[in-house]
Amino acid sequence: MTDVTMTINGQTRSASVPPETTLLQLLRENFNLTGAKLGCDVGDCGACTVIVDGQAVNSCLMLAGQADGRQVLTIEGLASREHLHPIQKAFENSGALQCGFCGPGVLLSAKALLDDNLDPSTQEIRDALSGNLCRCTGYTKMIEAVQEAARLLREESRTQLTHARPEVATP
Amino acid sequence: MKAFGYVSAKDVAHAVALLGEHGAKAKILAGGTDLLVELKHAVHNPEIIVDISRLSELKTIAVADDGLHIGALATHGDIMNSSIIRDMFPAMVDAAHSIGAAQTRNLGTLGGNLVTCVPSMDSGPALIALEALVTVASSAGRRQMPLGELFVSPRKTSLKPGDLLVDIVIAKQNLSKPAAFEKFGLRKGQALALVNVGAAFFIDKGNFLCPRIALGAVAPTVIRAPKAEAYLEGRKISAEAMAEAGRIAATEAKPISDFRASADYRRDLVAVLVKRALASAQARAAAKQKELAA
Ligand SMILES: Cc1cc2nc3c(=O)[nH]c(=O)nc-3n(C[C@H](O)[C@H](O)[C@H](O)COP(=O)(O)OP(=O)(O)OC[C@H]3O[C@@H](n4cnc5c(N)ncnc54)[C@H](O)[C@@H]3O)c2cc1C
Ligand code: FES
Ligand code: FES
Repeated sequence: MTDVTMTINGQTRSASVPPETTLLQLLRENFNLTGAKLGCDVGDCGACTVIVDGQAVNSCLMLAGQADGRQVLTIEGLASREHLHPIQKAFENSGALQCGFCGPGVLLSAKALLDDNLDPSTQEIRDALSGNLCRCTGYTKMIEAVQEAARLLREESRTQLTHARPEVATP
Repeated sequence: MKAFGYVSAKDVAHAVALLGEHGAKAKILAGGTDLLVELKHAVHNPEIIVDISRLSELKTIAVADDGLHIGALATHGDIMNSSIIRDMFPAMVDAAHSIGAAQTRNLGTLGGNLVTCVPSMDSGPALIALEALVTVASSAGRRQMPLGELFVSPRKTSLKPGDLLVDIVIAKQNLSKPAAFEKFGLRKGQALALVNVGAAFFIDKGNFLCPRIALGAVAPTVIRAPKAEAYLEGRKISAEAMAEAGRIAATEAKPISDFRASADYRRDLVAVLVKRALASAQARAAAKQKELAA
Protein backbone atom coordinates (compact mmCIF):
# COMPACT_ATOMS: atom_id res chain seq x y z
CA MET A 1 0.00 0.00 0.00
CA THR A 2 1.07 3.59 -0.57
CA ASP A 3 0.39 6.14 2.16
CA VAL A 4 -0.52 9.56 0.86
CA THR A 5 -1.27 12.86 2.55
CA MET A 6 -2.17 15.90 0.52
CA THR A 7 -4.04 19.16 0.80
CA ILE A 8 -7.30 18.93 -1.11
CA ASN A 9 -9.34 22.12 -1.42
CA GLY A 10 -7.51 23.51 1.61
CA GLN A 11 -7.99 20.46 3.84
CA THR A 12 -5.37 17.87 4.74
CA ARG A 13 -6.51 14.41 3.66
CA SER A 14 -4.74 11.08 4.05
CA ALA A 15 -5.32 7.60 2.70
CA SER A 16 -3.59 4.28 2.26
CA VAL A 17 -4.20 2.91 -1.24
CA PRO A 18 -2.78 0.26 -3.60
CA PRO A 19 0.15 1.81 -5.57
CA GLU A 20 -1.72 1.48 -8.87
CA THR A 21 -4.46 3.86 -7.68
CA THR A 22 -4.71 6.99 -9.83
CA LEU A 23 -5.27 10.41 -8.32
CA LEU A 24 -8.70 10.37 -10.01
CA GLN A 25 -9.66 7.11 -8.27
CA LEU A 26 -8.35 8.45 -4.95
CA LEU A 27 -10.47 11.61 -5.26
CA ARG A 28 -13.63 9.86 -6.37
CA GLU A 29 -13.51 6.60 -4.43
CA ASN A 30 -11.62 7.45 -1.24
CA PHE A 31 -12.64 11.06 -0.73
CA ASN A 32 -16.06 11.05 -2.45
CA LEU A 33 -15.07 14.04 -4.57
CA THR A 34 -16.92 13.00 -7.71
CA GLY A 35 -16.67 16.33 -9.54
CA ALA A 36 -13.67 15.17 -11.56
CA LYS A 37 -15.05 12.70 -14.11
CA LEU A 38 -13.71 9.54 -15.67
CA GLY A 39 -13.99 9.96 -19.44
CA CYS A 40 -11.35 8.34 -21.61
CA ASP A 41 -8.92 7.26 -18.85
CA VAL A 42 -5.94 7.91 -21.16
CA GLY A 43 -5.33 11.67 -21.13
CA ASP A 44 -7.31 12.66 -24.20
CA CYS A 45 -10.54 14.21 -22.92
CA GLY A 46 -9.73 16.37 -19.87
CA ALA A 47 -12.89 15.35 -17.94
CA CYS A 48 -10.63 14.40 -15.01
CA THR A 49 -8.72 17.73 -14.95
CA VAL A 50 -7.74 18.99 -11.50
CA ILE A 51 -5.19 21.59 -10.43
CA VAL A 52 -2.06 20.26 -8.68
CA ASP A 53 0.39 22.81 -7.29
CA GLY A 54 -1.16 25.46 -9.51
CA GLN A 55 -1.10 23.48 -12.75
CA ALA A 56 -3.91 21.77 -14.62
CA VAL A 57 -3.25 18.03 -14.96
CA ASN A 58 -5.24 14.96 -15.98
CA SER A 59 -5.81 13.08 -12.72
CA CYS A 60 -6.35 9.82 -14.66
CA LEU A 61 -2.67 9.95 -15.68
CA MET A 62 -1.24 10.64 -12.23
CA LEU A 63 -0.70 8.03 -9.54
CA ALA A 64 -2.02 8.92 -6.10
CA GLY A 65 1.58 8.52 -4.88
CA GLN A 66 2.77 11.25 -7.26
CA ALA A 67 0.35 13.68 -5.60
CA ASP A 68 1.61 12.91 -2.07
CA GLY A 69 2.43 16.14 -0.25
CA ARG A 70 0.96 18.37 -2.96
CA GLN A 71 -1.86 20.92 -3.11
CA VAL A 72 -4.86 19.70 -5.08
CA LEU A 73 -7.83 21.81 -6.16
CA THR A 74 -10.95 20.09 -7.47
CA ILE A 75 -14.17 21.63 -8.73
CA GLU A 76 -15.65 21.13 -5.25
CA GLY A 77 -13.16 23.72 -3.97
CA LEU A 78 -14.16 26.48 -6.37
CA ALA A 79 -17.41 27.85 -4.91
CA SER A 80 -18.16 28.70 -1.31
CA ARG A 81 -21.57 28.04 0.24
CA GLU A 82 -22.48 31.67 -0.34
CA HIS A 83 -20.89 32.49 -3.67
CA LEU A 84 -20.21 30.86 -6.99
CA HIS A 85 -16.68 31.50 -8.22
CA PRO A 86 -16.64 34.23 -10.94
CA ILE A 87 -15.70 31.57 -13.52
CA GLN A 88 -18.79 29.56 -12.55
CA LYS A 89 -20.94 32.70 -12.65
CA ALA A 90 -19.66 33.56 -16.11
CA PHE A 91 -20.31 30.03 -17.41
CA GLU A 92 -23.84 30.18 -15.98
CA ASN A 93 -24.55 33.63 -17.43
CA SER A 94 -23.25 32.66 -20.85
CA GLY A 95 -25.05 29.32 -20.97
CA ALA A 96 -21.66 27.83 -21.79
CA LEU A 97 -22.43 24.27 -20.70
CA GLN A 98 -25.14 21.85 -21.78
CA CYS A 99 -24.99 18.38 -20.23
CA GLY A 100 -22.12 19.55 -18.02
CA PHE A 101 -20.01 16.38 -18.02
CA CYS A 102 -16.96 18.23 -19.32
CA GLY A 103 -17.66 21.20 -17.04
CA PRO A 104 -15.46 20.51 -13.99
CA GLY A 105 -12.46 19.95 -16.24
CA VAL A 106 -13.14 22.95 -18.45
CA LEU A 107 -13.61 25.27 -15.47
CA LEU A 108 -10.38 24.12 -13.83
CA SER A 109 -8.43 24.52 -17.08
CA ALA A 110 -9.89 28.02 -17.29
CA LYS A 111 -8.92 28.68 -13.65
CA ALA A 112 -5.33 27.56 -14.23
CA LEU A 113 -5.16 29.95 -17.19
CA LEU A 114 -6.73 32.91 -15.37
CA ASP A 115 -4.57 32.44 -12.25
CA ASP A 116 -1.63 33.19 -14.55
CA ASN A 117 -3.14 35.64 -16.99
CA LEU A 118 -6.12 37.89 -16.25
CA ASP A 119 -6.34 39.18 -19.81
CA PRO A 120 -5.97 36.18 -22.13
CA SER A 121 -6.43 36.48 -25.89
CA THR A 122 -8.94 34.23 -27.67
CA GLN A 123 -5.99 32.19 -28.92
CA GLU A 124 -4.64 31.75 -25.40
CA ILE A 125 -8.07 30.60 -24.20
CA ARG A 126 -8.40 28.11 -27.05
CA ASP A 127 -4.91 26.82 -26.25
CA ALA A 128 -5.74 26.44 -22.54
CA LEU A 129 -8.97 24.55 -23.29
CA SER A 130 -7.59 22.38 -26.11
CA GLY A 131 -7.22 19.41 -23.76
CA ASN A 132 -10.90 19.47 -22.75
CA LEU A 133 -13.28 17.76 -25.12
CA CYS A 134 -16.96 18.69 -25.10
CA ARG A 135 -19.49 16.70 -27.09
CA CYS A 136 -22.34 19.19 -26.63
CA THR A 137 -21.45 22.83 -27.00
CA GLY A 138 -19.07 23.59 -29.86
CA TYR A 139 -16.86 25.64 -27.49
CA THR A 140 -17.80 29.13 -28.72
CA LYS A 141 -19.78 30.06 -25.62
CA MET A 142 -17.11 28.58 -23.37
CA ILE A 143 -14.54 30.91 -24.86
CA GLU A 144 -16.92 33.85 -24.35
CA ALA A 145 -17.49 32.70 -20.77
CA VAL A 146 -13.76 32.65 -20.03
CA GLN A 147 -13.48 36.17 -21.45
CA GLU A 148 -16.39 37.24 -19.23
CA ALA A 149 -14.79 35.52 -16.21
CA ALA A 150 -11.52 37.33 -16.91
CA ARG A 151 -13.44 40.61 -16.94
CA LEU A 152 -15.15 39.78 -13.63
CA LEU A 153 -11.85 38.79 -12.04
CA ARG A 154 -10.11 41.93 -13.29
CA GLU A 155 -12.92 44.01 -11.81
CA GLU A 156 -12.64 42.09 -8.56
CA SER A 157 -8.91 42.65 -8.33
CA ARG A 158 -9.35 46.36 -9.17
CA THR A 159 -11.96 47.02 -6.52
CA GLN A 160 -9.98 44.73 -4.17
CA LEU A 161 -13.09 43.55 -2.39
CA THR A 162 -12.52 43.63 1.32
CA HIS A 163 -15.09 40.90 1.90
CA ALA A 164 -12.66 38.51 0.24
CA ARG A 165 -14.30 35.50 -1.32
CA PRO A 166 -13.12 32.36 0.46
CA GLU A 167 -11.16 30.13 -1.94
CA VAL A 168 -12.38 26.98 -0.33
CA ALA A 169 -15.77 25.53 0.45
CA THR A 170 -16.34 24.12 3.92
CA PRO A 171 -17.92 20.73 3.47
CA MET B 1 -3.84 -1.46 -13.94
CA LYS B 2 -2.18 -4.61 -12.65
CA ALA B 3 -0.69 -4.41 -9.17
CA PHE B 4 2.90 -3.19 -8.82
CA GLY B 5 5.17 -1.97 -6.06
CA TYR B 6 5.92 1.74 -5.88
CA VAL B 7 8.83 3.69 -4.53
CA SER B 8 9.48 7.39 -4.79
CA ALA B 9 13.21 8.10 -5.30
CA LYS B 10 14.72 10.73 -2.97
CA ASP B 11 17.62 11.78 -5.17
CA VAL B 12 19.50 10.64 -8.26
CA ALA B 13 21.81 8.33 -6.30
CA HIS B 14 18.77 6.69 -4.68
CA ALA B 15 17.07 6.29 -8.06
CA VAL B 16 20.21 4.75 -9.62
CA ALA B 17 20.58 2.37 -6.65
CA LEU B 18 16.93 1.30 -6.92
CA LEU B 19 17.21 0.78 -10.67
CA GLY B 20 20.44 -1.19 -10.23
CA GLU B 21 18.80 -3.36 -7.61
CA HIS B 22 15.61 -4.14 -9.52
CA GLY B 23 16.98 -4.17 -13.10
CA ALA B 24 14.46 -5.26 -15.72
CA LYS B 25 11.73 -5.68 -13.09
CA ALA B 26 11.59 -1.91 -12.57
CA LYS B 27 10.05 0.80 -14.70
CA ILE B 28 10.87 4.49 -14.34
CA LEU B 29 7.97 6.92 -13.89
CA ALA B 30 8.68 10.55 -14.79
CA GLY B 31 5.50 12.43 -15.75
CA GLY B 32 3.63 9.18 -16.33
CA THR B 33 1.67 10.54 -19.32
CA ASP B 34 2.94 7.76 -21.52
CA LEU B 35 3.72 5.08 -18.95
CA LEU B 36 0.30 5.14 -17.24
CA VAL B 37 -1.45 4.61 -20.57
CA GLU B 38 0.87 1.67 -21.26
CA LEU B 39 0.31 0.22 -17.78
CA LYS B 40 -3.45 0.51 -18.26
CA HIS B 41 -3.13 -1.36 -21.55
CA ALA B 42 -0.80 -3.89 -19.86
CA VAL B 43 1.99 -3.22 -22.40
CA HIS B 44 4.40 -3.52 -19.47
CA ASN B 45 3.90 -5.42 -16.25
CA PRO B 46 6.68 -4.11 -14.00
CA GLU B 47 7.08 -5.44 -10.48
CA ILE B 48 8.07 -2.03 -9.23
CA ILE B 49 7.63 1.56 -10.33
CA VAL B 50 10.50 3.89 -9.48
CA ASP B 51 8.93 7.35 -9.33
CA ILE B 52 11.59 9.95 -10.19
CA SER B 53 9.16 12.87 -10.44
CA ARG B 54 10.45 14.50 -7.24
CA LEU B 55 14.12 14.66 -8.25
CA SER B 56 14.45 18.45 -8.42
CA GLU B 57 18.12 18.09 -9.51
CA LEU B 58 16.81 16.73 -12.82
CA LYS B 59 14.56 19.73 -13.45
CA THR B 60 17.21 22.41 -13.85
CA ILE B 61 17.77 24.23 -17.12
CA ALA B 62 21.13 25.98 -17.03
CA VAL B 63 24.13 26.99 -19.13
CA ALA B 64 27.45 25.41 -18.11
CA ASP B 65 30.94 25.58 -19.66
CA ASP B 66 30.16 22.88 -22.20
CA GLY B 67 26.74 24.15 -23.24
CA LEU B 68 23.07 24.19 -22.29
CA HIS B 69 21.91 21.43 -19.94
CA ILE B 70 18.21 20.60 -19.83
CA GLY B 71 17.33 18.21 -16.99
CA ALA B 72 15.47 15.09 -18.13
CA LEU B 73 12.58 15.98 -15.80
CA ALA B 74 11.99 19.46 -17.24
CA THR B 75 8.36 19.34 -18.33
CA HIS B 76 7.22 20.67 -21.70
CA GLY B 77 5.60 23.50 -19.71
CA ASP B 78 8.92 24.26 -17.95
CA ILE B 79 10.63 24.43 -21.34
CA MET B 80 8.00 26.83 -22.71
CA ASN B 81 8.43 29.08 -19.66
CA SER B 82 12.23 28.96 -19.40
CA SER B 83 13.71 32.36 -20.25
CA ILE B 84 17.01 30.67 -21.15
CA ILE B 85 15.37 28.36 -23.70
CA ARG B 86 13.09 31.08 -25.06
CA ASP B 87 16.15 33.20 -25.71
CA MET B 88 18.67 30.62 -26.95
CA PHE B 89 16.54 27.89 -28.38
CA PRO B 90 13.07 29.04 -29.46
CA ALA B 91 12.71 25.99 -31.73
CA MET B 92 12.49 23.90 -28.57
CA VAL B 93 9.73 26.16 -27.23
CA ASP B 94 7.75 25.61 -30.43
CA ALA B 95 8.26 21.84 -30.15
CA ALA B 96 7.18 21.79 -26.49
CA HIS B 97 4.12 23.94 -27.22
CA SER B 98 3.00 21.58 -29.98
CA ILE B 99 2.77 18.62 -27.59
CA GLY B 100 -0.69 17.45 -26.51
CA ALA B 101 -2.52 20.05 -24.43
CA ALA B 102 -1.73 22.00 -21.25
CA GLN B 103 -2.53 19.05 -18.95
CA THR B 104 -0.06 16.79 -20.79
CA ARG B 105 2.62 19.50 -21.03
CA ASN B 106 2.39 20.15 -17.27
CA LEU B 107 3.20 16.52 -16.42
CA GLY B 108 5.06 15.17 -19.46
CA THR B 109 8.84 15.55 -19.37
CA LEU B 110 11.50 16.01 -22.03
CA GLY B 111 13.32 12.86 -20.89
CA GLY B 112 10.12 10.82 -20.95
CA ASN B 113 9.33 12.07 -24.45
CA LEU B 114 12.74 10.99 -25.80
CA VAL B 115 12.69 7.61 -24.04
CA THR B 116 9.25 6.71 -25.43
CA CYS B 117 11.14 6.61 -28.73
CA VAL B 118 7.98 6.91 -30.80
CA PRO B 119 8.71 8.07 -34.37
CA SER B 120 6.41 11.10 -34.00
CA MET B 121 7.92 12.44 -30.74
CA ASP B 122 7.95 16.21 -30.98
CA SER B 123 11.10 16.83 -28.91
CA GLY B 124 13.32 14.81 -31.23
CA PRO B 125 13.73 16.72 -34.50
CA ALA B 126 14.96 20.10 -33.21
CA LEU B 127 17.35 18.41 -30.77
CA ILE B 128 18.71 16.09 -33.48
CA ALA B 129 19.16 19.09 -35.79
CA LEU B 130 21.24 20.73 -33.05
CA GLU B 131 23.23 17.51 -32.52
CA ALA B 132 22.21 17.27 -28.86
CA LEU B 133 23.92 14.85 -26.47
CA VAL B 134 22.33 12.89 -23.65
CA THR B 135 23.83 11.98 -20.29
CA VAL B 136 22.92 8.60 -18.82
CA ALA B 137 23.59 7.47 -15.23
CA SER B 138 23.72 3.91 -13.95
CA SER B 139 25.42 2.07 -11.11
CA ALA B 140 28.48 1.86 -13.44
CA GLY B 141 28.73 5.67 -13.55
CA ARG B 142 27.82 8.35 -16.10
CA ARG B 143 28.25 8.33 -19.85
CA GLN B 144 27.37 10.70 -22.65
CA MET B 145 26.30 9.92 -26.21
CA PRO B 146 24.74 11.65 -29.20
CA LEU B 147 20.93 11.72 -28.88
CA GLY B 148 20.68 9.83 -32.19
CA GLU B 149 22.35 6.82 -30.55
CA LEU B 150 19.55 6.64 -28.00
CA PHE B 151 17.02 5.84 -30.71
CA VAL B 152 16.99 2.22 -31.94
CA SER B 153 13.53 1.48 -33.36
CA PRO B 154 9.91 2.37 -32.55
CA ARG B 155 9.55 2.26 -28.74
CA LYS B 156 13.08 0.86 -28.32
CA THR B 157 16.05 2.85 -27.04
CA SER B 158 19.64 1.77 -26.42
CA LEU B 159 19.13 2.23 -22.66
CA LYS B 160 19.69 -0.89 -20.57
CA PRO B 161 17.77 -1.84 -17.43
CA GLY B 162 19.27 0.28 -14.64
CA ASP B 163 19.96 3.29 -16.89
CA LEU B 164 18.58 6.70 -15.99
CA LEU B 165 18.54 9.55 -18.51
CA VAL B 166 19.89 12.54 -16.61
CA ASP B 167 20.06 15.46 -18.98
CA ILE B 168 20.10 16.66 -22.55
CA VAL B 169 23.02 18.85 -23.60
CA ILE B 170 23.32 21.27 -26.48
CA ALA B 171 27.01 21.89 -27.04
CA LYS B 172 28.30 25.43 -26.68
CA GLN B 173 29.23 25.82 -30.38
CA ASN B 174 25.63 25.04 -31.39
CA LEU B 175 23.90 27.39 -28.97
CA SER B 176 23.94 30.32 -31.36
CA LYS B 177 22.90 28.18 -34.32
CA PRO B 178 19.62 29.40 -35.82
CA ALA B 179 17.08 26.57 -35.67
CA ALA B 180 13.38 25.94 -36.22
CA PHE B 181 10.73 23.27 -35.65
CA GLU B 182 7.68 22.63 -37.81
CA LYS B 183 4.87 20.16 -37.19
CA PHE B 184 1.78 19.19 -39.11
CA GLY B 185 -0.99 17.31 -37.33
CA LEU B 186 -4.66 16.77 -38.11
CA ARG B 187 -5.68 19.40 -35.53
CA LYS B 188 -3.94 22.35 -33.84
CA GLY B 189 -4.23 20.89 -30.35
CA GLN B 190 -3.97 17.37 -28.94
CA ALA B 191 -2.70 15.82 -32.19
CA LEU B 192 0.34 13.71 -32.96
CA ALA B 193 2.54 14.80 -35.84
CA LEU B 194 1.89 13.42 -39.30
CA VAL B 195 5.33 14.84 -39.96
CA ASN B 196 7.61 17.04 -37.85
CA VAL B 197 10.86 18.64 -38.89
CA GLY B 198 13.82 20.31 -37.22
CA ALA B 199 16.34 22.41 -39.15
CA ALA B 200 19.45 24.35 -38.14
CA PHE B 201 22.31 26.04 -39.98
CA PHE B 202 24.94 28.71 -39.53
CA ILE B 203 25.12 31.56 -42.00
CA ASP B 204 28.53 32.21 -43.55
CA LYS B 205 28.60 35.25 -45.87
CA GLY B 206 25.10 34.49 -47.09
CA ASN B 207 25.77 30.76 -47.52
CA PHE B 208 24.51 27.72 -45.61
CA LEU B 209 27.13 26.39 -43.19
CA CYS B 210 26.75 23.03 -41.40
CA PRO B 211 23.04 22.64 -42.31
CA ARG B 212 21.26 19.93 -40.33
CA ILE B 213 17.79 18.61 -41.16
CA ALA B 214 15.90 16.11 -38.99
CA LEU B 215 12.65 14.38 -39.94
CA GLY B 216 10.13 12.83 -37.53
CA ALA B 217 7.23 10.41 -38.06
CA VAL B 218 8.51 9.31 -41.48
CA ALA B 219 10.91 6.51 -40.46
CA PRO B 220 11.26 4.04 -37.56
CA THR B 221 13.01 6.77 -35.53
CA VAL B 222 13.82 10.45 -36.03
CA ILE B 223 16.29 10.58 -38.95
CA ARG B 224 18.61 13.12 -40.54
CA ALA B 225 18.33 13.99 -44.24
CA PRO B 226 22.01 13.82 -45.29
CA LYS B 227 21.45 14.33 -49.04
CA ALA B 228 19.44 17.50 -48.45
CA GLU B 229 22.12 18.68 -46.01
CA ALA B 230 24.90 18.00 -48.56
CA TYR B 231 22.95 19.90 -51.23
CA LEU B 232 22.72 22.98 -48.97
CA GLU B 233 26.30 22.95 -47.63
CA GLY B 234 28.13 26.05 -48.90
CA ARG B 235 25.22 27.03 -51.17
CA LYS B 236 23.89 30.59 -51.31
CA ILE B 237 20.83 30.99 -49.09
CA SER B 238 17.68 31.43 -51.20
CA ALA B 239 14.03 30.41 -51.23
CA GLU B 240 14.75 28.16 -54.25
CA ALA B 241 17.54 26.32 -52.42
CA MET B 242 15.24 25.78 -49.44
CA ALA B 243 12.49 24.39 -51.67
CA GLU B 244 14.97 22.07 -53.45
CA ALA B 245 16.30 20.84 -50.08
CA GLY B 246 12.69 20.04 -49.14
CA ARG B 247 12.21 18.03 -52.34
CA ILE B 248 15.45 16.10 -51.71
CA ALA B 249 14.53 15.44 -48.07
CA ALA B 250 11.18 14.02 -49.24
CA THR B 251 13.10 11.35 -51.19
CA GLU B 252 15.03 10.45 -48.02
CA ALA B 253 11.89 9.94 -45.91
CA LYS B 254 10.53 6.40 -45.57
CA PRO B 255 7.00 7.03 -44.36
CA ILE B 256 4.27 4.47 -43.86
CA SER B 257 0.57 4.75 -44.68
CA ASP B 258 -1.75 4.47 -41.70
CA PHE B 259 -5.18 5.69 -40.61
CA ARG B 260 -3.81 9.21 -40.12
CA ALA B 261 -2.29 9.75 -43.56
CA SER B 262 -0.85 8.03 -46.63
CA ALA B 263 2.87 7.72 -47.25
CA ASP B 264 2.59 9.99 -50.31
CA TYR B 265 0.89 12.70 -48.30
CA ARG B 266 3.58 12.46 -45.63
CA ARG B 267 6.32 12.78 -48.27
CA ASP B 268 4.67 15.93 -49.63
CA LEU B 269 4.51 17.28 -46.09
CA VAL B 270 8.24 16.67 -45.65
CA ALA B 271 9.00 18.85 -48.68
CA VAL B 272 6.81 21.67 -47.40
CA LEU B 273 7.85 21.52 -43.75
CA VAL B 274 11.60 21.37 -44.51
CA LYS B 275 11.26 24.47 -46.68
CA ARG B 276 9.28 26.23 -43.93
CA ALA B 277 11.70 25.22 -41.17
CA LEU B 278 14.69 26.50 -43.15
CA ALA B 279 12.91 29.79 -43.86
CA SER B 280 11.88 30.16 -40.26
CA ALA B 281 15.45 29.52 -39.01
CA GLN B 282 16.69 32.17 -41.43
CA ALA B 283 14.04 34.65 -40.25
CA ARG B 284 15.12 33.98 -36.67
CA ALA B 285 18.76 34.62 -37.53
CA ALA B 286 17.82 37.90 -39.21
CA ALA B 287 15.74 38.99 -36.20
CA LYS B 288 18.60 38.15 -33.83
CA GLN B 289 21.04 40.14 -35.98
CA LYS B 290 18.73 43.15 -35.88
CA GLU B 291 18.41 42.81 -32.11
CA LEU B 292 22.21 42.72 -31.72
CA ALA B 293 22.68 45.70 -34.06
CA ALA B 294 20.13 47.78 -32.14
C1 LIG C 1 -3.25 13.02 -24.48
C2 LIG C 1 -1.81 12.89 -24.84
C3 LIG C 1 -1.28 13.65 -25.88
C4 LIG C 1 0.07 13.54 -26.21
N1 LIG C 1 0.52 14.30 -27.24
C5 LIG C 1 1.82 14.21 -27.60
C6 LIG C 1 2.32 15.02 -28.68
O1 LIG C 1 1.61 15.81 -29.30
N2 LIG C 1 3.64 14.89 -29.00
C7 LIG C 1 4.48 14.02 -28.35
O2 LIG C 1 5.65 13.97 -28.69
N3 LIG C 1 4.03 13.25 -27.32
C8 LIG C 1 2.73 13.32 -26.93
N4 LIG C 1 2.25 12.54 -25.91
C9 LIG C 1 3.15 11.55 -25.29
C10 LIG C 1 3.75 11.92 -23.93
O3 LIG C 1 2.95 12.82 -23.23
C11 LIG C 1 5.12 12.54 -24.04
O4 LIG C 1 5.97 11.68 -24.72
C12 LIG C 1 5.73 12.89 -22.68
O5 LIG C 1 6.79 13.79 -22.86
C13 LIG C 1 6.23 11.67 -21.94
O6 LIG C 1 6.92 12.11 -20.78
P1 LIG C 1 6.56 11.57 -19.33
O7 LIG C 1 7.45 12.29 -18.40
O8 LIG C 1 5.12 11.66 -19.08
O9 LIG C 1 7.03 10.06 -19.51
P2 LIG C 1 6.63 8.76 -18.67
O10 LIG C 1 5.28 8.32 -19.08
O11 LIG C 1 6.90 8.96 -17.24
O12 LIG C 1 7.74 7.77 -19.25
C14 LIG C 1 7.76 7.38 -20.60
C15 LIG C 1 8.81 6.28 -20.78
O13 LIG C 1 10.12 6.80 -20.58
C16 LIG C 1 10.77 6.16 -19.48
N5 LIG C 1 11.48 7.24 -18.80
C17 LIG C 1 10.95 8.44 -18.40
N6 LIG C 1 11.90 9.25 -17.89
C18 LIG C 1 13.07 8.55 -17.97
C19 LIG C 1 14.42 8.85 -17.61
N7 LIG C 1 14.78 10.03 -17.08
N8 LIG C 1 15.38 7.90 -17.83
C20 LIG C 1 15.06 6.70 -18.38
N9 LIG C 1 13.80 6.37 -18.74
C21 LIG C 1 12.81 7.28 -18.54
C22 LIG C 1 9.67 5.50 -18.70
O14 LIG C 1 10.11 4.37 -18.01
C23 LIG C 1 8.67 5.15 -19.78
O15 LIG C 1 9.06 3.96 -20.42
C24 LIG C 1 0.91 12.64 -25.52
C25 LIG C 1 0.39 11.90 -24.46
C26 LIG C 1 -0.95 12.01 -24.11
C27 LIG C 1 -1.49 11.22 -22.98
S1 FES D 1 -10.43 10.75 -18.17
FE1 FES D 1 -8.53 11.70 -17.86
S2 FES D 1 -8.22 12.73 -19.72
FE2 FES D 1 -10.04 11.58 -20.13
S1 FES E 1 -21.50 20.22 -22.00
FE1 FES E 1 -21.82 18.13 -22.49
S2 FES E 1 -19.80 17.45 -22.79
FE2 FES E 1 -19.53 19.54 -22.59
